[in-house]
Amino acid sequence: MARAQAVRPRRKLTQQPGFWGFLFICPWLFGFLVFTAGPMLTSLYLSFQKYDLVTIKPVGFENYRRLFVDDPLFWKALKNTLFYAIVSVPLGIVSSLAIALLLNQNVRGIKLYRTCFYLPSLVPSVAAALVWQWVFNSDNGILNTILGLVGIPGPQWLQDERATPWAFAIMSLWSVGGARMVIFLAGLQGIPDSYYEAARIDGAGTWRCFRSVTLPMLSPVMFFNLVLGVIGSFQIFTAAFVMTAGGPNNSSLYYALYLFRNAFEYFKLGKASAMAWVLFCILLVLTFLQFRVSRRWVYYEGGDK
Amino acid sequence: MKPPKARQWIQMFAICALGMALGCGPDPYAGKVKIRYMAWGNPEQLDLEQHLCDEFNEKNPDVHVTFFKVPAAEYTLKMMLMMASHTAPDVMRVDHYNFPNLVAKGYFYDLTDLAAKDPTFHRDDFFPQAIDECLYKGRLFGLNVLFGGDLIYYNKTMFKQAGLEDPAEMAQKGEWTWDKFRECAIKMTKKGSDGRYLQFGFGAPSASSTFPVLACAIWAYGGDMLDKDFKHAVFDQPGAVKAFQMIADFRWKDHCSPTQAQGENSLYTFEGGKLGMVFDFMGLTPRYRKLIHKFDWDVCPVPRGPYGNTTLCKGNQLVIYSETAHPDAAWRFERFITSEATEDELYVKRRRCFPTRKAMAYSAEYLKSKLPPFNNWAFVDAVAHSRPLPINERWSEWTQAFDSEIDNLIAGRERDAGVVLRRAKVKVDKVLADEAGF
Repeated sequence: MARAQAVRPRRKLTQQPGFWGFLFICPWLFGFLVFTAGPMLTSLYLSFQKYDLVTIKPVGFENYRRLFVDDPLFWKALKNTLFYAIVSVPLGIVSSLAIALLLNQNVRGIKLYRTCFYLPSLVPSVAAALVWQWVFNSDNGILNTILGLVGIPGPQWLQDERATPWAFAIMSLWSVGGARMVIFLAGLQGIPDSYYEAARIDGAGTWRCFRSVTLPMLSPVMFFNLVLGVIGSFQIFTAAFVMTAGGPNNSSLYYALYLFRNAFEYFKLGKASAMAWVLFCILLVLTFLQFRVSRRWVYYEGGDK
Repeated sequence: MKPPKARQWIQMFAICALGMALGCGPDPYAGKVKIRYMAWGNPEQLDLEQHLCDEFNEKNPDVHVTFFKVPAAEYTLKMMLMMASHTAPDVMRVDHYNFPNLVAKGYFYDLTDLAAKDPTFHRDDFFPQAIDECLYKGRLFGLNVLFGGDLIYYNKTMFKQAGLEDPAEMAQKGEWTWDKFRECAIKMTKKGSDGRYLQFGFGAPSASSTFPVLACAIWAYGGDMLDKDFKHAVFDQPGAVKAFQMIADFRWKDHCSPTQAQGENSLYTFEGGKLGMVFDFMGLTPRYRKLIHKFDWDVCPVPRGPYGNTTLCKGNQLVIYSETAHPDAAWRFERFITSEATEDELYVKRRRCFPTRKAMAYSAEYLKSKLPPFNNWAFVDAVAHSRPLPINERWSEWTQAFDSEIDNLIAGRERDAGVVLRRAKVKVDKVLADEAGF
């Protein structure tokens, strides 16, 4: 064996398996190390420092301790964000699925409908926020005008701290026709017609077909949308930054907005880094839990279930 | 896929080298002292400053100033990062909201000796408020630009239509009080037949974060925001409570100022002729001159209360970076863009803001203008009776804590200013007592 290796001619570096592959992903690898992994490690280091861009002093876990024990705004921001995630993610998934089901019909002009539903997600988020500011205007906005027509007095959506969290959850529906819907649509089109035909022969109606064929077959796609939806909802920022600046009375102070303020308005870089790592850990745990629970409800073709 | 041959590698290298060589030419400013100047502003302001830099470069052949512009939204962060990385420009414009924080960290060059050596610089030429803003521990760290105070812009036509006396005339007689202000605001407010408001007498700031423009109301009733050392909030005292209650009542009791929802999306603006009076900075004049053609307008002092009619003043500081290699050239440039000629062009002719020099503000050219506003004495009077805001190192943090509490007062969900302000004091005191940096 050793002899056989000794006589084998040495291959040039360029002939090594994987050399060209590595060469081609070099730009990405460089970008990842310098712009993602590097800053991540730096922020981990900074989270143990008191750093205001001028002076830096190691403080151990003090930033974390202050966040958990001393900072009511941290808890308020976390609570606001959790509420937003709990309301907007299921609402978004159900709505996206409903739209995808509608747009999966074989009717005239379906391509036009698909384009129309996708359009809102192409609008820049700042522009969308300004449009929604009009919609939510309690004095002359379209939402309160419609509510008024059916005899319901609309709240001060963006000025009343009891209404603001709901306003943001409603606003999250703006982009339900976007990427999430397209993924559902692709999933729906991947379900073979033969499954439905077989179900119908067995006597299944529309609802039964949906419950016993569509939903199980879509469950991996739904799981994917759920994971991304939860992560995305924890990062809500632009709308709150533009529309309410976190108010009224911090009712729209979301986690990312509070983090941004600490970093770039108060220049508490250590505290902001600690917040970023807490968020990272929260998302890691939530995603892990979703993967664990997914074993019970996600069906993979060719899988065990 | 075949790997490139050695000749191909050489060809690629040669092409890159040629490209780089073509991109780099000889330095056109070799032998000159190079100064970098950084500022933000609207396109008009930036064009003016570019013009000033070009003029300076023409008149000073030994120095070359490069002006680089940064969008307002990113300015502070960029400046902080450049200072932290020791790459800040030689000369920078700093908003006074950031000045106390940065000067305390040693980022700015002490100009006291440069000013003392300069035979053309006399502190007495300037309004003391314009100099005071640039001081730190008694030393000079900047020169004031875009300086000015807060006063009232009013719709003269609306006053006449409501049969009211001109507020500027009332002010000159000493009769322009907060009670009179309220009376005028109520009389100018009109509703249409459908119950919707056609116009309001007064446009109170719609966001809690804009409360500083009403600092004059707090001072008029003997109140204040922070104590002298900036260690504790004092806005829970009777003077400030009275002022905040009055402002909330304009909206929710007297209904002479639009609510936040009514005022959103620019439905009621001063330039649109829908507001009788607004409190704003002096720099608004060029904008109003450009936009208002359908009614007469002018300026008048802020109303008087039991403790007078002090208003706020604020500017930007032109500072030199503490690590600059060319402090003398930077000082020359600073003096040029704050010179009499520049102030005359910017503040007397174009009315961008207010001149920092007393002689210029009291000159006939400034006081008499061909375009509105004509009550230019009100600008001078405002600055002469002005004082700065309590801006300390933690301004943005304590004001945000304060804003979050008064949100409900502004939105009308809470009506008792005393209760709100007492709660706000607890929050703000906590911020002020907290160790900086955490």
